[in-house]
Amino acid sequence: MFLTRSEYDRGVNTFSPEGRLFQVEYAIEAIKLGSTAIGIQTNEGVVLAVEKRVTSPLIEPTSIEKIMEVDKHIGCAMSGLIADSRTLIDRARVESQNHWFTYNEKMSVESVTQAVSNLALAFGDDDPDPAQCRPFGVALLLAGVDENGPRLFHMDPSGTFIQYDAKAIGSGSEGAQQALQETFHKSITLKEACKAALTILKQVMEEKLSATNVEMATVTPGNLFRMFTKEELEAVIKDL
Amino acid sequence: MEFMTMPTQQAEKPIQARFSPYDMNGGTVLAIAGEDFAVIASDTRLSQGFSIHSRDTPKTTQMTGNTVIGSCGFHGDVLTLTKVIQTRLKMFSHIHNKDMDTTSIAAMLSTILYYRRFFPYYVYNIVAGLDSEGKGCVFSFDPVGSYERESYRAGGSASSMLQPLLDNQIGMKNQEGAKQVPLSKAKAVALVKDVFTSAAERDIYTGDGIVIHVVSKDGITTETFPLRRD
Repeated sequence: MFLTRSEYDRGVNTFSPEGRLFQVEYAIEAIKLGSTAIGIQTNEGVVLAVEKRVTSPLIEPTSIEKIMEVDKHIGCAMSGLIADSRTLIDRARVESQNHWFTYNEKMSVESVTQAVSNLALAFGDDDPDPAQCRPFGVALLLAGVDENGPRLFHMDPSGTFIQYDAKAIGSGSEGAQQALQETFHKSITLKEACKAALTILKQVMEEKLSATNVEMATVTPGNLFRMFTKEELEAVIKDL
Repeated sequence: MEFMTMPTQQAEKPIQARFSPYDMNGGTVLAIAGEDFAVIASDTRLSQGFSIHSRDTPKTTQMTGNTVIGSCGFHGDVLTLTKVIQTRLKMFSHIHNKDMDTTSIAAMLSTILYYRRFFPYYVYNIVAGLDSEGKGCVFSFDPVGSYERESYRAGGSASSMLQPLLDNQIGMKNQEGAKQVPLSKAKAVALVKDVFTSAAERDIYTGDGIVIHVVSKDGITTETFPLRRD
């Protein structure tokens, strides 16, 4: 396996004879090392929940941030190399503000995702002014509300983005995606979705789930992007 | 030896080459917002000083299925500006998979104009259409992008004659005991014809004809009406 690959997995933009870009595929593999993140779209809004790996008692858990606000109406959860996400989130924020500035309207979730995905393949050996020299090692779940209602998008390091009803990324994604498929139905309420997200995280997490090692946020037409406080998290966890 | 008088050094007068990039080609536009419709009209005369260049040049441009822009001032700038807007609209619909709203077009036009703050497009714009709730809307602009949503507005060479008439007939201004009644489409169109006919009597830059667009949820209808041609 390594023999066949070694010729073509050096250059980031060289296709293998089988038509594959190995570096991009490896970047997608890097996501599977990241902590689990879950997004569920409901008719009332979208929920994002992520696991935080607090590997030492000396870590300040609140300094681990894996859900971020892109705009008032869009949030983003991530898994993989979190440092890489800064560039992507920054672009998302700039594009979203630019759209508001020029058109005096909220940018749609799909358009923000499209704008971010344009960055994903802006790498290369020959590029005179490359944005970066390797693919991003991070996957994003972009959640938001726009004129089409609640929307959830998943974007991977290849820049491919797909809309989902429910999606899990990261190390526990296989099990979590399976669980989501069993739990999700079209008429799920936001409250049920929040509970389901944490229940599934609990199943796939190695550590014991608590209010300090998970983050959760909702995006609704009424309250837009809102992070759960520690107390609110505890309330949901209590009746899992 | 003869003493030659040297020519006194003459300070050459500086040659002034004046660059005058602007002209004024007249024309008047007018827009009225109703409850669920908007009317926008312009005359069709294009002039420069005492000469008429064209008797059939409407100053309105349909931008989307529910937005029309009226622009007058320097016709060269009008042509470029409307072209810029049209390309921006095309790009927007490709990127975002939808037509731009009237309110967004107005916001965008404001930024386009302000980016030319120190070499402006010499164009007075009025945007008319339907907002996202289906209500009629009119936006008026100055040449550098200051804009405002209003219920009626006249712009261009005869604007100072039309605006007081509209204030009186639509805004019910300067009348005692006058009641504000909802404006019907037919009344709005009739009013447009009346005020343009009056303006054509006094303003040499307004005449020849008018083009009237009525924007409603069913689309845009266009009619023409003759004005005096002298």
